[in-house]
Amino acid sequence: MRHSQRMDRLSAPRRKVQLATAAMLLMATTVAACGDGGDDGATASAPKAPATIPELTKDPLTLSFIWFDWPPAKALEDFANAEYTKDRPNVTVKVNTVPNANWHDAMFTQFAARKTDFDIAILDSQHIGEAVTNGNILDITDFVKNNIEVDAYNPYLLAAYGQFPQAETGQRDENASLYGLPLLGDTWTMIYRKDLIGDKPPQTWDEMISVAEKCQADNPGVSGLAFHQANGSDAAAVTYNTVNGVYGGNLWDPKTRKIDGVLNDAAGHEAMDVLVNKMKPLTAKGSGNWFIDEVNAAVAQGKACIAFNWIAASGGLLDPKESTLGSTREQILDKLGFATLPSQKTDLVPLGGMGMHVSAYSAEANQVEALNFMKWFQQADVQKKWAAAGGVPSRTDALSSPEFLNAGPFNQVYADSVPRMRDMWNVPEYARLVDIENTNVNAALNGAKNPKAALDDIAKEQQSVLDSSGRKGGGGL
Amino acid sequence: MTDDAGQVAATPPPAPGRSRRLSDRGLAVAFISPALLLLLAMSVFPLLWALYLSFTDYSATRGGRAYFVGFGNYTAILTSAQVHQRALTTLIYVVGAVTLQTVLGFTIAYLISRRTRGRGLLTTLFLVPMMLSPVVVGLFWRFMLDAQFGVVNSMLGSIGLGQVEWLTRQRTALISLIVVDTWQWTPFIMLIALAGLTAVPKYLYEAASIDRASEWFRFRTITLPLVWPLLLIAVLFRAIEAFRLFDLVYILTNGGPGVSTETLSFHVYKVAFLGFNTGTASAYGILMVLVVIVLSQIYLRYLNRLKEG
Repeated sequence: MRHSQRMDRLSAPRRKVQLATAAMLLMATTVAACGDGGDDGATASAPKAPATIPELTKDPLTLSFIWFDWPPAKALEDFANAEYTKDRPNVTVKVNTVPNANWHDAMFTQFAARKTDFDIAILDSQHIGEAVTNGNILDITDFVKNNIEVDAYNPYLLAAYGQFPQAETGQRDENASLYGLPLLGDTWTMIYRKDLIGDKPPQTWDEMISVAEKCQADNPGVSGLAFHQANGSDAAAVTYNTVNGVYGGNLWDPKTRKIDGVLNDAAGHEAMDVLVNKMKPLTAKGSGNWFIDEVNAAVAQGKACIAFNWIAASGGLLDPKESTLGSTREQILDKLGFATLPSQKTDLVPLGGMGMHVSAYSAEANQVEALNFMKWFQQADVQKKWAAAGGVPSRTDALSSPEFLNAGPFNQVYADSVPRMRDMWNVPEYARLVDIENTNVNAALNGAKNPKAALDDIAKEQQSVLDSSGRKGGGGL
Repeated sequence: MTDDAGQVAATPPPAPGRSRRLSDRGLAVAFISPALLLLLAMSVFPLLWALYLSFTDYSATRGGRAYFVGFGNYTAILTSAQVHQRALTTLIYVVGAVTLQTVLGFTIAYLISRRTRGRGLLTTLFLVPMMLSPVVVGLFWRFMLDAQFGVVNSMLGSIGLGQVEWLTRQRTALISLIVVDTWQWTPFIMLIALAGLTAVPKYLYEAASIDRASEWFRFRTITLPLVWPLLLIAVLFRAIEAFRLFDLVYILTNGGPGVSTETLSFHVYKVAFLGFNTGTASAYGILMVLVVIVLSQIYLRYLNRLKEG
């Protein structure tokens, strides 16, 4: 009783003090968090990298990259630790990898925290706009002018992996700023079964479909086609964009930022019809969620007549341990052929690959080391060594070198495809645009949506994303 | 000062080695403070911060100032056809999965409770799926349900049935999600139901036997009414869990085909991390929490009424 009386006597003022303390704590935490947000406004554009490389550290340093988990990531780490450390023995290169589906999120959530555990972000060309607009990567325009032989590159390759605002297809704007340098070039290759359809690859898209149809009919258990259809990453979107390009369509009008009416014009609808009604029936049952690995598995197990995949991911197809097509690389190559994509109304092919971009939040010594690595990497002899190590270089001299052309049967395909490349939209809204396209194309391919309605929905929804910048609330839905 | 003096006089002298200034209450506060601060920092503050952001157009990647948009985010979410579609998918999923889990879980528990030998071993075996990470479960079910190379279609093929596109067709994809979730979480319902079943007094059954009551009558009038309240709590937990399902969708279908298996949580993830529309995502999250709180309250009231009855 005495205790409760005491509590009653003491509780009122003490409770007030406690409540006030809790409120102050909460307010202090809130103000601290708000304060951080307030500072960000001042750094909303990409900070500039130094034009010349300052003095490098002599202390041990780990130069970290972030990429997604695939064979080129391991190749880069091995190559850099073997070659770059000859020049910089105090440096260790670490390529951190995440699953492909988490790649964008893994980089941009760290950018959002204004603190990264990587020094070089390996960004897809389409991520550049988002990173530049948010001030996440360094502007390296002056650095490139002073340190890189820009004339040694096909201008579009240099622009595609570094320039913002986005370059027009096939061109580079000399006055635009650069935010990255090429790391790995890539495009789609057509993989075909020479033993089933003959040595000569189909030359047109229509011919390719009819050859695949015949091959499927003649070879029970083997599907005519295998290609990316999944709704994750950019899988189904790249497939549609490729067919769209080949049939003369356009993804948008970059000058007027118009998608609705451009993407879903007659050529766009024809491309969607070809994809869903002519190509999809030639694929394996249940292949509606296939991406890189599944397409490779189908080819390696002899389950597809013709397949489409990224060149950089095709190396494993020649590994006898992973293939049922032969017990040696030569036996596999007797059955598999690699060719550039067939043309139809145009000869466009998708631009793949990625560039190197320096994190704005990395420590200064690491940023300097990152710039030094990029300068080193773009030298002619290093690019050739990178080609021999399994990489796809971007310098023209490296692309035509025997080191590159003899390193893999698909490398000639890449060299021939360079002048034919087309990219997607490189805008800050890219992640949402590609998700809209992925989900709708995937729905059309899997019978969840009428193809015409799917394309119209893509155009409408993407247009609304581009137009929604001034909207009061509800952005992102 | 007077209070302090009074307090010292009223309480027994402190134990040797204990500071004379630290009262029992002070000691309690000292012990509770770390946990309280952690709770404030990790739960209360983020919730209040999310509430604040939900009224703004803030984007975590863009940074800069957060502009007040009033209830703009909330009205946009509540009137969005896309959100309605995800809400319907989530509802079908929650009802389907929880119903199946309840029926199966209770049935298994009932059968186990009737065994006298091997009950412990059986219970442990049934609990194994629940102990696995949902990501691991999702991955191996993804392989098993693969239309071309999966063991499920291989087994169906060996008995003469055709291939089923488990994860790439609109209907089968949602059913697959329900089946996989049921495989993992039926043991949870089973465990709680088993606890309820073993707590039913034996004398009730003995009395019923003396009255020559049938098995069905005993189940209907003794077992079910006594286990029902406990079972309803299990259903509540499962429904809340199922409502915020994310991991299985992410691994098994990625929301596809199209967006047909996208749940509300998966959609929030896309809003938050694809476009980094932090303000909208915060409002979306707050609305989801509100839905759970309101439905739970209604449910708990029903449960209390049931107990009182």
